[in-house]
Order: sequence, then structure tokens, then C-alpha cells
Amino acid sequence: MNHPGTPQDRPRVIRNAKGKRPEFYETPGMDHAMSMIMVLANEMAVLRDRMDSAERVMQAHGINLAAEIETLHLDQAALEEREARRQDFLGRLFYLMRKEAHEAAQGESAEGYSATIADIAVS
Amino acid sequence: MLNTFQQQSHGALPTATHDEAARQEFTKSLKGFIQSDLLPGLGPIYGSKVAKAFEKDHGRPPADRRDIRAGMVKNLYFQHYAAANRIAQELLWESVNVAIDRQLPELLEASAALSAATPAKLDIPEGFVPPRYVTALDIHCMPGGYASEITENDITAGALYDRGVYLYAMGYMGPNNDDMGRSVCNYIRRNMPDFKPRRILDMGCTVGHSTVPFKELFPDAEVWGIDVGGPVVRYAHARAAALGYEVNFAQMNAEETRFEDGYFDLVVSHILLHETSGKAMPRIFKECHRLLAPGGLMIHADLPPFDLMDPFTQFILDNETWYNNEPFWGAMREVDQPALARDAGFLADTIRFDTAPMAVMEFAGAAEGYSDQGSADVADREFVAGEYAPGGGWEVLIARKAEAMEMAA
Repeated sequence: MNHPGTPQDRPRVIRNAKGKRPEFYETPGMDHAMSMIMVLANEMAVLRDRMDSAERVMQAHGINLAAEIETLHLDQAALEEREARRQDFLGRLFYLMRKEAHEAAQGESAEGYSATIADIAVS
Repeated sequence: MLNTFQQQSHGALPTATHDEAARQEFTKSLKGFIQSDLLPGLGPIYGSKVAKAFEKDHGRPPADRRDIRAGMVKNLYFQHYAAANRIAQELLWESVNVAIDRQLPELLEASAALSAATPAKLDIPEGFVPPRYVTALDIHCMPGGYASEITENDITAGALYDRGVYLYAMGYMGPNNDDMGRSVCNYIRRNMPDFKPRRILDMGCTVGHSTVPFKELFPDAEVWGIDVGGPVVRYAHARAAALGYEVNFAQMNAEETRFEDGYFDLVVSHILLHETSGKAMPRIFKECHRLLAPGGLMIHADLPPFDLMDPFTQFILDNETWYNNEPFWGAMREVDQPALARDAGFLADTIRFDTAPMAVMEFAGAAEGYSDQGSADVADREFVAGEYAPGGGWEVLIARKAEAMEMAA
């Protein structure tokens, strides 16, 4: 991997362990999905820790961020902004279902896709 | 229990940014959660579902750990458990590796400076070839294993192990990862108060985390740690210096060291044997016998044999063989270790297994995050297969070499 700002000849750690990795699930891709979920869970925990650190740093400077967060009143604009962000997030989280419903509405199918490829190749 | 144990920093140990530390801490939390919340479900799952399904399919109940495994690998609860365990292990090494890669040039310099400033010996021979059982797979999935050298005078594997094993052990081994060595020392002092070894050898010492307590508790002794991995031996030398102890280290194979006959009064190892092989183990026992002075002691702290356990317990423990790159983990537990010790020449009536209680209580209230309650919870546990250091003690195999007059008799 190319690391910007570091000399190319410096040593780099070994990232992969030698030895065939076992698979735990019968469903193809499930092992990958589980490890990705756990990496995301890890990063979520890191963010929560960082927020906690921010609260503690503010506290050290006399600002009780945690308590003020608890009593923060959201005005109409803030309520709307948050709800829009949540809906946007859910939309992205369920993007495959959105796509599937769209395909159903459009009558798109795997057969149709193959037919298009075959058709474009010759026309 | 809430495990808040924190590793003690020292001059050779990699540091972590806020987010790197949080990422590492999460892997420790995840391992703790798997052990306390997912592992206990395996018994009921086996009893209520898997054993019954096996009997239906085969017309007989599961007979041994292989049968149990054949049934369990099809069960989704077990699949989640085993996958989570494996992923935790991978995330653990990855979280440390990223931090090490960021600061590798500085870590190399720090270790070199520490090593240069100590009078303790460091013996790294030219052209040393580590044995295949250490290089064929990266044991416990540690990328690069113990022996990969990625640069001159490399210490990377040592840095990775020192931090990684702390997370792997979830801090149960104390702020300096030294509980095994400390526990064996305590065992010797309690059970053999008159034994004063002049020279002590720790075989398969990796970063010397178990070696250093022997110098601390037997300060007048000449203490040596040996390992087949060059980077871990160099790191061990620097690490001991950083902790203020004069401990000698050498890159050697425990099957065939370069020390003279009878040089040591005490030869120990800590979780070494299960990372060797069927051919190496008897050779190591013979080498221990050769290296010991008459009356000297051999103590190996490792895994208890399978014949002391029920098949379900064996199955749980054997998961390490299949899922954590520990090729000899299961087979080693079937080796007749007392017979090996007898064949190597040790006095038959001195050969025994015993338990050395963990020393973790010594840190209670004295090291960061080692609360009285947390430490007591680790020390006082019933044996539960699949937990780290189950039962709060280490299994030790002890054997004594005959005195000169006993040999004559």
C-alpha cells in the first residue's frame, strides 16, 4: 500500500496471518458480512469513546457538556434537521430494498438484463 | 465483572492514539463478552439440540470430541460463537498492527537505544533457522508470527506480541503480562522455600514477559530467556532494560541450545510446549535434563492433558486448534508428558502435575484499572473451558534431576 508522506523504503508491518482462514457459515459471503459488521461495531464504539472523551475534556474546562446535552431543547429547525438526517440514513441503510422495489416497479429482471447485454452486443 | 485492567507502559511498548486505544480496548471488551455471555450458551445448545440431532442421525450419542465437533459446526449458535471468537482475534492483531506501523521507525530506535544501554547479554547468531512448527502457520493468527524479520535488527513481532497478548489475555496476566512467570516463582517459593537457583533459563520466552519476574524474585540469579524468533528476542532484551532488569536473551532453539551441560539450576517454560511439535517435545525434555545441574528443577507451565477432561470440555478447548492457528494445541494434550520426563532421565517419583495459582491478586488496587473486585473475580473462578486461564491457575509439570548420589544409586 502506498502511504502518502512516508518514505517508500521504511519497513511496513505484516497485515495477514499465514494459515487458511476457516469459514463458519454455509451461506456464501456471510463470513465476510459478519466481520464487516464487527469492524463497524468497533468503529461505533470508538466514536462513542471519542464523544465521552470530548465531554470529559470540556468538563475539565468547566463546561458540563454531558449535562447540557441532556437538557438541550431542540427548536423546530433542529427537530427537522435531525429527522431529515435519520430518514436519509435509513434510506441509505436500506438502499437494496429501495432498488429491489424499483426493479419490481420497472419490471427489471436478471433475464432482461442478460437479454440487454446480448442485444447491445449485436445491435 | 467489569474488566478495566490497563497495561503498564514502558520504554519499548508501542503507544496508541485516542482512537487506536479505543479500538484496541474494544477488542478486549469483545473477548470478555464472548467469554462471559456467548460461551455459556454452548452447553445448553449442545445438550438440548446438537446431541439429540447427532443421535437421531447416527443412532448413537456423540462419543468423543470429534463427534461433538461434527454436530456443533452445523449449529448457527456455535457458528456465531466461533466466528465472533475468530473475528475478535483478527481485530485484536489488526488494531495493534495499525498503531505499530504508524510508529515503527521510532519503535526500532527506542528498542535499539534501550538494548545498547544495558549490560545484559543479547546473543543473535548469524544464519539461525527457526523450526518449521513456528513458521508453517502464524500461530494464534498473529500476522508474521514470531520469526518474520521485516527489517534489520527487527523488533516488530515483539512489539505486536507485547501489546497483543495483553489484549488477548484481557489483562488477566497483570499490567506487565507477567502473571505466568510470577505464579511459577510464587509456587517455587511456597513449596520449595530452600531452593535458591543460581542460574535460571526460560525457554520460548517471546518478549521475556514471564522471564523478568524470575530476576525480580531471584535477584542474585543469572537469568536467561531464549526463543527461536529474532524480533521477539531483541524486543525482550530492550523491554527488560526498560523495566530496569538485567536479563540475558538469546535466539536459540529449546531442542538444542548452546549452553553447556549442567549450567542451570532451574529451567522453566510458559505456554511454550503447545506451540512446538510431537518430535520437538521429547527433545526439549531431554535438553532440559542435559542443561540442569544435579538436583535441578524443570517446570513447564502449559495446558492440562485431555485425559483429565470430559469430551465436551475437550471439544471447547480444541477449537483453538481449528480456528486459531494452533496446530499442536489438541495433539499436545494427548501426549503423556510424565512419560516424556521419565524417558528424558528425570526422577520418576518427582514428576507431577500441579496448579500454580494466578498472581493477579498482587496487582489489586496497585495498578491502573486493577480494582480489588476485578482482580478477585479473575483469581477466584471455577474451571470453565474456553475461558482465558480457566479456574484462576496455571497447570505446571514439575520434574527434578537426580542428585549425584541418587544417580549412583
